[in-house]
Parts: sequence; structure tokens; C-alpha cells
Amino acid sequence: MSHRHINRRKFIGEASCAAVGTTAFLSSILNLGMINTISARPHIIGGNDYKAMVCILLAGGADTFNVLVPTESSEYADYVATRGDLALSNNSTPPELLDLDYNDNGREFAVHAGMPEVRDLFDNGDLAFLANIGTLIEPITDAADYNSGTKNIPLGLYSHSDQIMQWQTSVPQSRSAVGVGGRMADVLNSMNSIDEISMNISLAGKNRFQSGNNVVEYSIDRNTTENSVGFDGFPSWWNNHGHLTASRDSAHANMVEQTYANLFQETYGNLGQQNIESNKIFKTALGNVIPITSSFSSTNLSEDLKKITEVMSVRTHLGACRQIFFVTFGGWDHHDDVIGSQNVMLPIVSAALKEFKDALVEKNLYDDVVTFTISDFARTLTSNGNGSDHAWGGNQMIMGGPIEGQNIYGDYPSLNLSSNLNLSDRGRILPTTSVDEFYAELALWFGASPNDLDYILPNLCNFYSTSGCPANVPNNYMPIGMFS
Amino acid sequence: MHLYIDSKVLLGFVVSLFYFIPHGQAQLTSLQLGMGNNDGVTVTSSDETGTTNSSVTIAQDGFLPNQNAASRFLSQATLGYNMEDIDSVAIMGIEDWIDIQISTVGDSTMVQYVQGYHDYIKNQTNNPSANAGIRLWDYTWWQYHMQSKDLLRQRVAFALSEFLVISRFSFFNNEPYAFADFYDILLDNAFGNYHDILTEVTYHASMGNYLTYINNPKSDTILNQFPDENYARELMQLFTIGLYELNNDGSIQYDTNGDPIPTYDNDDIYEFSKVFTGLTWGDRTNFGSKYPRDDTSYIIPMHVLNSEHEPGPKNLLNGFQIPDRNPVDGDADIADAIQNLFDHSNMGPFLCKYLIQRLVTSNPSPEYIDRVSSVFNDDGNGVRGNLEAVIKAILLDPIAMSCDSGNDITFGMLREPFIRYVQMNKAFDNSTMSGRHRNDMDYVYDLVEQKPNSSPSVFNFFQSDHQPIGPVESADLVAPEFQITNSKTITGYVNGLYRWIVLGNPADEYDLYGGEDNALYDDEIAEWNLADELIYADDDNLHILIDRLNLLVAGGRLTGYTEELIINTVKEFPNDDADDTEFRTRLAIYLVLSSPEYLINR
Repeated sequence: MSHRHINRRKFIGEASCAAVGTTAFLSSILNLGMINTISARPHIIGGNDYKAMVCILLAGGADTFNVLVPTESSEYADYVATRGDLALSNNSTPPELLDLDYNDNGREFAVHAGMPEVRDLFDNGDLAFLANIGTLIEPITDAADYNSGTKNIPLGLYSHSDQIMQWQTSVPQSRSAVGVGGRMADVLNSMNSIDEISMNISLAGKNRFQSGNNVVEYSIDRNTTENSVGFDGFPSWWNNHGHLTASRDSAHANMVEQTYANLFQETYGNLGQQNIESNKIFKTALGNVIPITSSFSSTNLSEDLKKITEVMSVRTHLGACRQIFFVTFGGWDHHDDVIGSQNVMLPIVSAALKEFKDALVEKNLYDDVVTFTISDFARTLTSNGNGSDHAWGGNQMIMGGPIEGQNIYGDYPSLNLSSNLNLSDRGRILPTTSVDEFYAELALWFGASPNDLDYILPNLCNFYSTSGCPANVPNNYMPIGMFS
Repeated sequence: MHLYIDSKVLLGFVVSLFYFIPHGQAQLTSLQLGMGNNDGVTVTSSDETGTTNSSVTIAQDGFLPNQNAASRFLSQATLGYNMEDIDSVAIMGIEDWIDIQISTVGDSTMVQYVQGYHDYIKNQTNNPSANAGIRLWDYTWWQYHMQSKDLLRQRVAFALSEFLVISRFSFFNNEPYAFADFYDILLDNAFGNYHDILTEVTYHASMGNYLTYINNPKSDTILNQFPDENYARELMQLFTIGLYELNNDGSIQYDTNGDPIPTYDNDDIYEFSKVFTGLTWGDRTNFGSKYPRDDTSYIIPMHVLNSEHEPGPKNLLNGFQIPDRNPVDGDADIADAIQNLFDHSNMGPFLCKYLIQRLVTSNPSPEYIDRVSSVFNDDGNGVRGNLEAVIKAILLDPIAMSCDSGNDITFGMLREPFIRYVQMNKAFDNSTMSGRHRNDMDYVYDLVEQKPNSSPSVFNFFQSDHQPIGPVESADLVAPEFQITNSKTITGYVNGLYRWIVLGNPADEYDLYGGEDNALYDDEIAEWNLADELIYADDDNLHILIDRLNLLVAGGRLTGYTEELIINTVKEFPNDDADDTEFRTRLAIYLVLSSPEYLINR
């Protein structure tokens, strides 16, 4: 029975992380000149490095103009005037805002008071913000440019399903099943040495971010342990249970290994077979976890990040030099009660980031891991009574040893409704930094070559070339400059 | 006896024939052969000398072959069915069965079940103000579906519950009445008019809370306050017309640049958002509280406070303008807005394609969609939105009915994991001594991430355009149910089968209230009836068992290879006593239900 493995490659990687060799498996799928470029990554060849990225999706569209708030007096006055009943006070007791140790030519900022850990992480140089970032096909200068009718506008702007997809695919002009993390893994998969386990591990099930043309995520959950991986064995009180379990396993494997003409059966069979193989590796690896001593809260997000730390800690058993993790924390669609809801939810994020940092330090991984948030969109600056509606550009966080923290990258916009970035009287802000630029820097750090970028981010050249795509990536391309 | 079958035969149907034994006595024998794809199969038999002495050609309408076709049909039309249902369809035919189902209603409404449980708790605890709790909704859903005979209605309502989505991941996550009363809309109107559903849903406090337009005030420009856009957007994007202008066959319309033509823009959303202002709880007379007065506030429709409703004209789609009503009349505005969307030419193809995807196949052809949409547009009596006619058009379409459709490699769908769970409980006659069923379905939810009204967002458990990486995506097709199919849920499903079938715990029964004596519900422990399967668990008859399971749950789609594989696996297990026999039978069911041929319904 022949069977096509989705992430199978006939490539023997070594146990070290140095392996970048033959890439024949990719050649039939990718025709973008990567074959020559993969082995031209001097910064990773010969190394024994490990790098991981952790994407935290704040699903629903977090109102991030109440996460990072301008406090310079005139900017704060604009904030209060525009946000109305949604504005956080800068002089209340207890405080609603925590000042950041940051001053950029007089511009000052605070974070939501529910995020003291984020404030500390920022002040200590562990965390930075990306201001007014959003999904774009090409740069759009201002509202007039937007309204000129000459610019390509993302599909389904302001709709959840589209913008949450576009943050994951970075291709806002089309609907695609393939995401940025998936394409990074397509390119870099050969760095990992065990075929049967994916570079991309999800705590949130199937998702676009981690789906590549050649890579499918491996899904676990926060309760996954060595014992819970794989099919339940038959009870030990059964005579001969071991043999019977093996017979059962063999039957399962033989069923899914069949080749089917029907596309749905074949897809299920592929997944089923891959699942069996991945489970074997993963089960063994999890048996090697040494318990983490630093503490995590009992929230889902903290427990997800704890599980990720455990998986990273057994990376050698997974043959992993590169890993991409994906977590979802949903419930941010605050059309109603945005203040009360954020007061509950932002502390969960803040605590989880700090706990994750501590655990990574404990496992000596902190300098190898970059964690970042994404969200569908930010929300209208104006209120709908006690909530806010869908908008566009917003503010995201990035944390980790490799990051030059205590910075606000990009351009934090004016929140005055007369701003030339405001697209409606509801206060919808045109993004000034594209997710492409953010992901490009992330990909370069992760080990992608500049010549891989047009595969990973098909629109990227729109942001550095006046003539549009295709164009060569400039030397030392660092559009944001967030890595130290 | 020799049996010859011409080359057209496909596997899985039952051929019965009489032959003469030397004493001249007729005797029935039966042999499982094929899968309902039966037209023109010729069966001949011979006497002991090898001479052919009788021959019969089985026609498409032959009784026995119809069983697999009946099973296949029932897998499209119900959440689950048993051998009796298969026989009913095989005997009376699909159309008559549908007609009977259209007039079949549940034994009770969902709200009545919740009320019954709630009263029981109040009585048992001597506490007239005892809380209800979400578990009552789970028990109600399960009780209804194990008990009531409106199988087609149940399937349609479930499909609608994944279209007009509310979820327990919400403000009202512990309110059983909120879900029961909403679900009653879907059951009551499953064969009614979609316009009525839109109206009832719009006024329902559960939707009002889920999409946050309850207590939504009119604009206050001084405070920079504008109407909540949540419902306006999702009503258009998800419940009526979708994002792009569609042809009647469901295909997207493109402009001269080759870009899809949007159905609405953000200005339209803003206009619609003004319509859905002023609605509040049916039992409150002002915007004073966002909270329900009590458990039963959810079963009273919301009403409009005209003082809180946005005055002035509203510019809706296709040039329609709601007039500047004076005095302000929110109900009239809402009726206009619903009519504006209901009359949109996208309404038919958008809903019909969705329903075909839920019932029959993930990638319906434009022709199929066009046929069904046309019935939505006009049921033949000039009525638009008649769901009875739409459901008939979907299920009686040749594409749905013909087993030949399954030969098209692009046809079919992954069975929704929760529907698999219901299906197995119906197939093997889940029953309790008392006839009362408790099941909070938490176990199945944990394993496969699906149970009623539990999606993570208004975008359902999966989206209609999901493409799993692999052969489906390569062919540019969609397979929505694969969005919740991953290494965790694939394993989870098989482990669920293990618990439900091999260990024999098909339902999760818990106390209705703290400290309930377990003895009070000993008679509610769910069991399956495997009497008709156990008799075939010995080596010599295992093929009959597998054939029966193939018919009962898989519509005859198991390949011979898989049947052999399962038989050979089961044979490795001892069969020394009644426990062994029971185990072998359950193992066979477990393996059938985990096969890709079962999991893909085609």
C-alpha cells in the first residue's frame, strides 16, 4: 500500500541542528528558487542551535488601544475625547493605567492596569510593542490614499473570518488554507531530524497559521501527557491484553494506510496514518519531561504555555531544531462591556507571559524563544454604548531573549478622530506597519534566507520596493529592527 | 449451488435466493454482496450438476439492494437511525418516508423538558428557587434525540443550529432555557419558512445576548457613541447573504477586474446597525439591566423600546430605504431589514449551499445548488423560503439519492464527529430502563470538540470554506468538517469509541443537583442492545456481522479489504464465553466505526 506522507521527506537529518542539506522533497512543491538558497544560510550551518516561536492568537479582535495607551497630555486628551466611556483614567485609585519606563521624544505610554507583569517585562527589556500593525496588501499612506480607489484593500475588511485568517496567512487579497508559520516550516523543515513529528505544534487544533503546503500541524492540548498520547490500550486485567492491543493497533494502521480514490477518504487516511506515527514519537518524547518547578496559574493560557515549555524541553527527542507553537485565547470580541471584560482577561495574558518567561529561563530556553500576540483586528476607538466594534490596525506584543525590548516599534497613531489615518467617524485606524514586515523579520531570525521571503510572504516586496513585486530583498533587511 | 454475478456488481448488498435442495424443499439463503449500487446485476443459480436453471436481474428498485441505499439516505436525512428505520425506508420508499417525517413532531418541546427537569430539582430539593444549570440543557437535548421520532426534523434543526449559531461560550453559559427555547425555533420551523426563523431568531434574547444587540442604544454623537455593529454584520455575513454577490448556482460574481463583488460594505453595516437598536428583555421596560430577570426571561421574545431606537431613515441594500418613521417604530424597521435581506438574491444560494454541505456533500455542483436555490426562490406555489420544499429538493435530488454519486472521487463529506456519536447510539438502540436519558455529552466534547451549541464562536465549529491540506485542497475543494480533525481529535474519537463501545459507557450520567442519590437514576443507565449482532460473533459468522454493520452504519461502503481486516483482527480475540462474544462484537463495531470508509459519507 503506497501512501503519501504530508510532511514526509526522504532526507536524513542528523541529531544536531546543523543539518541543511538535500532538499529534494521540496523541489516538486516549491518552484521559487529556494533550493539554492536553503543551503546558503551561513548563520545556521554548522550551528547546534534551537529556535522556537510561539504565536498567541487573541481571537475575536482585542481592543488594543486600551492595552497600550498614550499618556503625554495632548495625546491623552485625544484618547479621552475619542474613546468616551471606554477611556481608562490616568489618575484614578486604584489606577487604570500603569506607566511604562519609556520616553520617545516626549511621547509616553502606559499599559492597562491589569498588566503589571507586562509593564515589568517591558521595563526590563524583555518585551516590546508593535504599534498600529495590521494586515495590508501594500502600503496605504492615509485615508485619502485609502479612498482613492487605487489601492488594493484586504478582502472582507473588518470581518472576523477574513481578518483572523489574514493575520495567519499574510495574504489579504485571497482566501488561503496556507499560513505564514506553515510556509516557514515548508522551508525549514529539513532542519529537524525526525520525519514523523511536525515542526508545528498546536494547542488550538487545526489552524491556518501553521498549515503549510507541505506541513500539517500536530495537535495536542494542555492536558496531554505521555499516557494520554495515542489510542487507549486495553485494560491490564484482560488476559493477553498487550498482544490484543497490538492487534488492534495493527488493524488501525492497516485501515488508514489504504490508498483511496475518494479525496476525502484519502485525506482522512493520510491524517490518520500521520497521526499514528506522530503519536509514537511524541509519546516517547513526553516520557522524558522533567517537571517544571516555576509556577503557572490555572488559566487555560498559562497551562497551554506550560505544556509548550514541556514540549520544548524534550525537543531533542523530537529531533527539533526549529519549532512553531500556536495557542488561542478567545473571547475578545467585546462589542459589549469591553472595560469589564478586559479587566478580567488582560491579567490572564499578563500573568501567563511572565510565567512563561520564568519557565523558559528555568529550562535555559529563554534566549531561543520569541513569543508574540496576534488578533483579528483592533476595535473602533469610539464606543457603541459600552463596547467597541471591528476596526483594523492595533497594537501587539512580542517577548523573548532575542528581542530588543522596552521599545514601541512602528508608529503609534494619533487617536484624534481628525487623524489622517482615521477611516471613519467610528475611529478605525489604517495600519502603518504590515504584518508582512513583522513576519519577515521573524522569519529571518528563525533561519529563513532572504531569498525564501517571497515564498513565505508573497506580498512582502510591496513594502520595500516602489516598483512592486518581484524585487530582491535589500541587504540587511530589517524593516522593524526588533531583534537585538 | 453456484452463484454467478456479472461484472457490474459492487460490494455490499444482500442477495436472497431460493434454491432447491434434493428433497424438493425451498430454503432461503442469503449472501451479502454489494453496496446498493445494484442496477442490472444478474444473479444465476445452478443445480448440483452445474447447469444453470434460473436467473434473475436485480433492478434499481429491488427490495434488498435498497437497504444500503436506505441506510445511505438515512445518513443524510437523520442524526442516527437503526435497522428498523432502514427497513421502513426500504419498504415505503424515500419520498413517503420524508412525507411522514415532515408531519412528525417531537414528544415535547425542549423548553418543556428543561422545565420538567427543573421542577424535579425544585421538588427533590424542596427549594422553589433552585437554579436550573446548563446540564439541564444537555440532558434535554439528549433526551429529545433518544426519544422523539422526528428524525428528519432533528437533522435539519441541528444543521440550522450550526448556521444560526449561539454557543454556551457566552454570557448565558449556565442558562438551559436560553438554549432550549432557541433550539425550539429551529425544530418548530425546520420545515417552515426561513423568513419566520430570521424574525424569531432576531427577537430571541439568546441571540440578542450572543451578538450583543440587546440593550443596544441609539447614537449619541456628543459622546461619540454609535450603535453596536455586531448583529448587523453577522446577520448579513453568516445568516443571510454572505460576503459576495452570488449567482443562483452559488458561484461568486466577479467585476471586470476579476475581483469578487462584495454584497455590502461597512457603510451598509452601519445602516443596518441602526435598525437593531432599542431591543431589550421581554420582561423589562427599560435598559436598566443587562441581566435577565430570572431563568425564564430567555423564553420571552425581546421587544423594542422606541425611545432607544435610532430614528431617521436607514439605507439598506439594493437601494431600499427605511423611511423616516414618525413616530419611531423599531418593529417596522426590523421587519423591513429582515425583508430586505430575505429578498436578496443571495439568500437562496447561500443557505441552500450550506444545507447541502451539511446533509449531503461538501462540494455540491453548481447545477445541484441551482436546482435547490430555485425551490427556495419559489416552491412552486409562489412561496419564497419554504424549507420543507428546500429539504425535499436537497434529499430527493438525483445527486443525493444515487449511490453512483459516490463513485465521483470529489463527492462526499466527513461525517461530523458529534453526528457519529448520535448515530452509533441510535444504530444500537441506546436505551434505559426508565426511558429517561441523561447525558451531558462532556466526554464526546472533550474528545472531538463538538456538541450542540458549543462552538468557539459564531463561525461554528468549522467554516464552509475550510480546506484541509492534502488531496482535497490540491483539487481546490473544501471539506469543512476537517477543520476539527487533527491529531488530537482523531485520537480522541477512537478513544471515545473505546469507552462508548468496548467499555460500554455510551453516556455521561451525573447528578441533577448536588447530593442527588445515585439510586434515583439507576434506571437511567444507558445500554446498547446488541442482540442482533452477538449471534454472529463466532468465527464462522463474523462475515455476517461485518456485513450487517456495514449496512447499518456505513451504507455498505466498507471495502472487502477492510471487512477482511476487521474479521481477521476480531478472530485473534478468544471466543470462549459470553464475555468474549460480547467483546468481539463490540470490537468489530469499534473497528468499523474507525474506518475511513465509514467516516466519509458518500
